[in-house]
Amino acid sequence: MDIRVLTLDIVIFILMGISVLSMVRVVIGPTSEDRMIGLNLVLAQISAILVLIAVKYNRSIYLDVALVYAILGFIGILAIARHAASREDKE
Amino acid sequence: MTETILILLIILGILSLEFKDLLNAVICLAIFSLLCSLLFYYLHAPDVAIAEAAVGAGVATVIFVLTINKTRRKEEVEEEE
Repeated sequence: MDIRVLTLDIVIFILMGISVLSMVRVVIGPTSEDRMIGLNLVLAQISAILVLIAVKYNRSIYLDVALVYAILGFIGILAIARHAASREDKE
Repeated sequence: MTETILILLIILGILSLEFKDLLNAVICLAIFSLLCSLLFYYLHAPDVAIAEAAVGAGVATVIFVLTINKTRRKEEVEEEE
């Protein structure tokens, strides 16, 4: 087995473990804000996994998925954050 | 790896059904679609993964949050009556 592919596999598994740990915060987090931060963390880590898999397979089309996720995930987090802010104002 | 993603998908699907606060359910659905996209990616279907990413992370989350913003909770309506 190529040493480069082996290293990439190890890093991908470590990142997957870290994102599972971040998902624990999403599951148990007491407030919605905690869950939002957890979503942000998981999104960043999974984007990194997508890029690493693209490097592993040597295909450029695989990079587009990470690009689309980095742009659109930001919009989703922005919408959730604005909703949280307007809910604070009502209370 | 595929098995890990499938187990996490089941857990997040059940959680998004069980949450009382709708915002938490939307956050769980966002992570659900993120993992779904990663699963398609692992099964060598990057075009499907792009479609899932665009719909799940962008459009669905924003539309759900806007709808929650426009509506009120059932308890608040009952308090006013």
